[in-house]
Amino acid sequence: MIKHISIILFSFFLSVQIVGQGNILLNHASVHVGNGEVVNDAVVGVVNGRIKFVRNALVYTIRKKEWDTIIDLKHQNLYPGFVAPSSTLGLTEIDAVRASNDFEEIGEFNPHIRALIAYNVESTVISTVRTNGVLLAQSSPRGGTISGSSSVMHLGGWNWEDAVAKKDDGIHINWPRSLKRERWGERTKKANKDYREQKAEIEAFFEAAKNYHESVSKQKTDLRFLAMQGLFTGKKRLYFHAHEIQQMLDIIEFSKKFGIKYPVIVGGYESYLIAERLRDAGIPVMIQRVHSLPMREDDPVDLPYRLPAILKEKGVLFCLQNEGDMEAMNARNIPFLAGTAHAYGLSQEEAIRAISLDACKIMGIDEDYGSIEQGKVATLFVSDGNALEMKENKVTMILMNGQFIDLNNHQLELYKKYRKKYGL
Amino acid sequence: MKIARHFAYSFLFLVSFSTQSQTLEPYNGTPPSKTEMIALKNARIYVSPDRVIEKGTILIKDRRVFKVGPLFPIPKEALVLDYSGKTIIPGFIECNAPIDSPKTGRTPMQGQQSKNGAVGSYYWNTAIHPEFDLSQDYAFDEKKSKELKEKGFIVVGAYEANGIARGYSSVFALEKGQNNLLRENAVAHFSFSKGHSNQAYPSSLMGSIALLRQALYDAKWYDNAEDRENNLSLAALNKQLKGTILFEIREKQEILRAEKIAREFNLQFNYITSGDSYQLGDDLEQLKSTLVIPVKLPEAYETNDPYVAREIPLGELKHWEMAPCNMYLLSQKGITVALSSADLKAKDFWSSLQNIRSCGLTEGDILKALTETPAKLLGIEKDYGSLEKNMIANFVVYDENPFDKKAEVLECWTNGKQEIFKRPQTVDVRGTYNLIIDNEYLQLEISGSLEKPKGKLSKKTTPSPAPTKKRSLRSLRKKPIDELKQEISANCEISVNDRDLSIQFFSSDFKWKGSNSLHGKISTKLGVIEGDALLADGQWVKWSAVKSQKAAKEKKEKEEHPEVERQLNLSYPNMAYGFSSKPQQETVVIKNATLWTNEKDGIVSNGTVIIQNGKITFAGAGNYVVPRDATVYDAKGKHVTSGIIDEHSHIAIKRGVNEGTQAISAEVSIGDVVDPEDIDIYRQLSGGVTAAQLLHGSANPIGGQSALIKLKWGHNANEMLIPDADKFIKFALGENVKQTNWGDAFRNRFPQTRMGVEQVYYDAFSRARQYEEEKKKHPGSYRVDLELEALAEILNKKRFITCHSYIQSEINMLMKVADSMGFTLNTFTHILEGYKVADKMKKHGAGASTFSDWWAYKYEVNDAIPYNAALLNEMGIVTALNSDDAEMGRRLNQEAAKAVKYGGASEEDAWKMVTLNPAKLLHLDQRMGSLKAGKDGDIVLWSHNPLSIEARVEMTIVDGEILFDAKRDEKMRQEIALEKARIISLMKQAAEKGARTKIYTPKSKGHFHCNTLGEDASHEENQH
Repeated sequence: MIKHISIILFSFFLSVQIVGQGNILLNHASVHVGNGEVVNDAVVGVVNGRIKFVRNALVYTIRKKEWDTIIDLKHQNLYPGFVAPSSTLGLTEIDAVRASNDFEEIGEFNPHIRALIAYNVESTVISTVRTNGVLLAQSSPRGGTISGSSSVMHLGGWNWEDAVAKKDDGIHINWPRSLKRERWGERTKKANKDYREQKAEIEAFFEAAKNYHESVSKQKTDLRFLAMQGLFTGKKRLYFHAHEIQQMLDIIEFSKKFGIKYPVIVGGYESYLIAERLRDAGIPVMIQRVHSLPMREDDPVDLPYRLPAILKEKGVLFCLQNEGDMEAMNARNIPFLAGTAHAYGLSQEEAIRAISLDACKIMGIDEDYGSIEQGKVATLFVSDGNALEMKENKVTMILMNGQFIDLNNHQLELYKKYRKKYGL
Repeated sequence: MKIARHFAYSFLFLVSFSTQSQTLEPYNGTPPSKTEMIALKNARIYVSPDRVIEKGTILIKDRRVFKVGPLFPIPKEALVLDYSGKTIIPGFIECNAPIDSPKTGRTPMQGQQSKNGAVGSYYWNTAIHPEFDLSQDYAFDEKKSKELKEKGFIVVGAYEANGIARGYSSVFALEKGQNNLLRENAVAHFSFSKGHSNQAYPSSLMGSIALLRQALYDAKWYDNAEDRENNLSLAALNKQLKGTILFEIREKQEILRAEKIAREFNLQFNYITSGDSYQLGDDLEQLKSTLVIPVKLPEAYETNDPYVAREIPLGELKHWEMAPCNMYLLSQKGITVALSSADLKAKDFWSSLQNIRSCGLTEGDILKALTETPAKLLGIEKDYGSLEKNMIANFVVYDENPFDKKAEVLECWTNGKQEIFKRPQTVDVRGTYNLIIDNEYLQLEISGSLEKPKGKLSKKTTPSPAPTKKRSLRSLRKKPIDELKQEISANCEISVNDRDLSIQFFSSDFKWKGSNSLHGKISTKLGVIEGDALLADGQWVKWSAVKSQKAAKEKKEKEEHPEVERQLNLSYPNMAYGFSSKPQQETVVIKNATLWTNEKDGIVSNGTVIIQNGKITFAGAGNYVVPRDATVYDAKGKHVTSGIIDEHSHIAIKRGVNEGTQAISAEVSIGDVVDPEDIDIYRQLSGGVTAAQLLHGSANPIGGQSALIKLKWGHNANEMLIPDADKFIKFALGENVKQTNWGDAFRNRFPQTRMGVEQVYYDAFSRARQYEEEKKKHPGSYRVDLELEALAEILNKKRFITCHSYIQSEINMLMKVADSMGFTLNTFTHILEGYKVADKMKKHGAGASTFSDWWAYKYEVNDAIPYNAALLNEMGIVTALNSDDAEMGRRLNQEAAKAVKYGGASEEDAWKMVTLNPAKLLHLDQRMGSLKAGKDGDIVLWSHNPLSIEARVEMTIVDGEILFDAKRDEKMRQEIALEKARIISLMKQAAEKGARTKIYTPKSKGHFHCNTLGEDASHEENQH
């Protein structure tokens, strides 16, 4: 086991007693559980990488011998590791450098393509994301109609096997748009023209996959259909990337028709218009990047900011995600997406929940991740201020799988180097 | 049948009349006979827009109108034709007849840069070909000509719709079978569209504007220069500027853009417009141009599916509602209007016109816009445009008055020559007849239209044996006896040709099983038809029919023009979130607020800000007097700051942010293409932004000139430009300018490396120096070069550079170039490696405008760090945080907060990075950037500390105008929904009444970034 001495870097406001790493006690923490609750002065025990207990610090007596490491957090905020669902983190390094991009395979129906094995744990981008409190990412392929399978990954580790939190958690499908848009180089005259056709293609593919799944004698190995099986057994989620109301209506029907156990909408710009239906169908929404412009000229200017609060009010299960332009590097701003959602209607703890427990719930890993509760994996971080506030988010300690994580990164090093140059 | 009609047509053509006298061409045989003088009497004659004769005569001699009037003695020698019931209207004049290139004056060449492949002494850029003359080797297309005549047009001004300086139009009379050129080199045509030119330059609207201006300067110089090469283009351009000019524009804003050029060169432009000109509102009052506007109106959308209907933006709905009143609203502003039927089918022409008239115009107004006004534009008003004495006899004869009823064109008289379109059926055969044939008595009913009647033959017979079931028998008994008789019948096809009639029917019930045909002559006086029939069995028999009943009088239905409850209120701008009236300055007092003064006082609690006449008159915690007309806001617990200034923005730019086709494009200016109707202006206001520098992109080392604007939503583009602001220009370094990420097609333009970029600058500034010397040497006769003018301004410290930059090596290089040329780099933007050369920047005197935390989007940002802003600030460099992104632009307060997180800037310092510091970088800090009496009334009221994630903008004030108000915004959303519902229901009504509809296709609006190429915003991943 390796001691992560780097925690000392910021230890001037922590009293750290590093004895060992195994059993860690975090004392005097303001715990934001992740399920909407706060425990103000808490003591959190971590044993063998899992949270053993969360107790009131005032009534808990510390037996020093039981702990390898005891840290007095001095009422700093303790959060569950934030999550970046639907992200290319780990699959790309520099957008414009082709050699560094590994998130889009050729072909239309690619359920067998797996993000897992391309995940680069040593990505310098990753090291700048976790230092803002984002510790888990659903590393997801892009492109085509069915892009492939994502996996939920830790933002750290030795290799992808070591970093994975849930292997092949789901398949991503880009639902065709019901309204074609006039865009650069493609002047579409008629709306809807190919929509039925494209839907029919997807249905045909699913029919065949389901047939393969149900047939007793599988004469031939079919990689695509094999990958699809998890959708029918409930082992995998089906992530529908869609925004329009028409798309979502069709997705509700489609999921019923094919008996998809865990359908999820990713994006859902118009989900507020059919929130009740989504709720009744039990389909959760990974809400599009909160920091987005309205899609239509006439739409309210703050609609994307308010979307989480609207879905909350209507009882739809949701979380936040960050898919879009420069999504990998931008994943470090996920805490602030939650902050804006809070400014526009969610309570502080609901906002936290939307990037921790509920994200994990939607991805099916809430048994182990997403909150600071007994029995869960100790993937959590400490922030000196409110982690959802840009000016206060200051991560002073990270535990990932119960291990201390280096808070240094490429950017911080350059900063220090040039401060030194200027004698600052 | 077809043959018969064709025969009729040619027969009529032979005897059509001509009053044309002499021809040049020797005739093969005896020349056609002609009639000296023709009188058309008893017609309704529209002589001119102001004069209609209900029943009058027009006398034509030698292709001209000899006399026209209600009652006058007709000379004996005149051939008199009775035109009772017909309507005569002067032939319309189409001054907007664009044609596809019949031939290209010059053969353009493919090329990255600027080679013009033309052989000959022409302008260097093929989009400028004013010398092009359509009258050579060109005949107006027969098919188009027929379409136009069906709409009532007999004269057209045709031009080649290609390029910026497009050449001359020619005026043609649409005489059948003859190319009748009335006037060559009639009107000079211009536009802002490059057209078919294969040269890369210009790729943007601002490039087109710059190119046109340069060509006009070149023409001016060419006129005076003593020693110069021949240039046919410039010679032609000079000639054109003295005559009539028609400028085609794509949308209303371009009128104002072209007017700027007209003022600069003291020219008068007239415009071929797009049907939305009315939206210019009060800006029209200055306009002296004639506007050619389309008769074609926007089609209604299909609104059955609410999912689709809700996609239609309010702006488009409003336009659909108001567009028919374009002409009316323009006339109200005193604008002279010509109507053009371009792109409109004949069958829609009159209903569209009626729609336009119903807004409050008279027949005379409409007629004038179709005749006199276009005649004047084309310079043929002495001969064409009315039917007054001595005008050329150019008119159209209709079967009804098309202003009242559905009418058809019967004849076109072009230059006194008759062309018959249609000879109406004179005999009305419709009615009920008793017909006897082959000893059978039948009834024949002829109905349908006069031209295309239809018929039914029937016979009453006794029914066959009684039905078996008692029940049905009983029910039969109850019925009257008459109905017990069964009727047998057959539909017949009928065709009439004057007094000849033919009937064909196929029967299975009659005794002649099979096809039977009858032919007969009609005797109208007796109402009898007699003739022969060929029966199904091959026998010939005689038949006759006597009319027993006249047909019910056919009502020629009056065109239905439902009174539409139109609302003609323009909003500012005319779209969602537009104001009902132009925003006005208000007197505002905001008290009990925490003030972020950005002045010595720092952050002041319980302070007050007063704005009067667009200026801050008080800011602080002291005593103050509430002005009389003030609205007082209690801002307890809230914060007030000066407005955010975005140093690097690409919103509100029309048709292209880059003119990246050349390494240097200093001649283009964003100021020419500001788009005041970009919704992103309103969105930025909702985020507290009050001013911005709109920058050219970063596609080339020397880009274009910036526009410094205030976000004055509801105002026009010129009103947004900050008056008396210093001039700025965009430079760029690195991957974008060496086209690294543009794909393999872009490997030709110099420079391709950072090494080349340096030399571009040395070359540019050396040339600018020489240009300065040339100007001094030959002050009267030098050739104005817009590119070098801008560069010379930099050397003279009259223009300042904002340079897109990333890597320390090139930043260092550019500062060395500037040092050697004796000027200072004003601002490095992006400047993500600024922290590596902060000391050098400080020494040089450059400022920095950077991103808070962007990186990893391309190779050159590998060493970008979010601590950059705080570190530069700590080093004493004027540091700003900018957006370069329409989305981030509306939450720059959050981006400023990141300077606290990364690098530990104080909250006050962080806040200055989006307010005072950009004001300094833009040389606007004397009037913006802090809360201080005397500064511009640009302030923002925040719900919380503006650096907090919880902060929401409650009010944004620009120059004392409240342009964003969260509460009002809430109300506007409901109003938008109501207004959309109202217009959609109008659309639905229109569709039910038969209006044409189309499916709505959403236009997704892209956003410009630094490296967006071409005129359209891209959706591709951007690279900044």
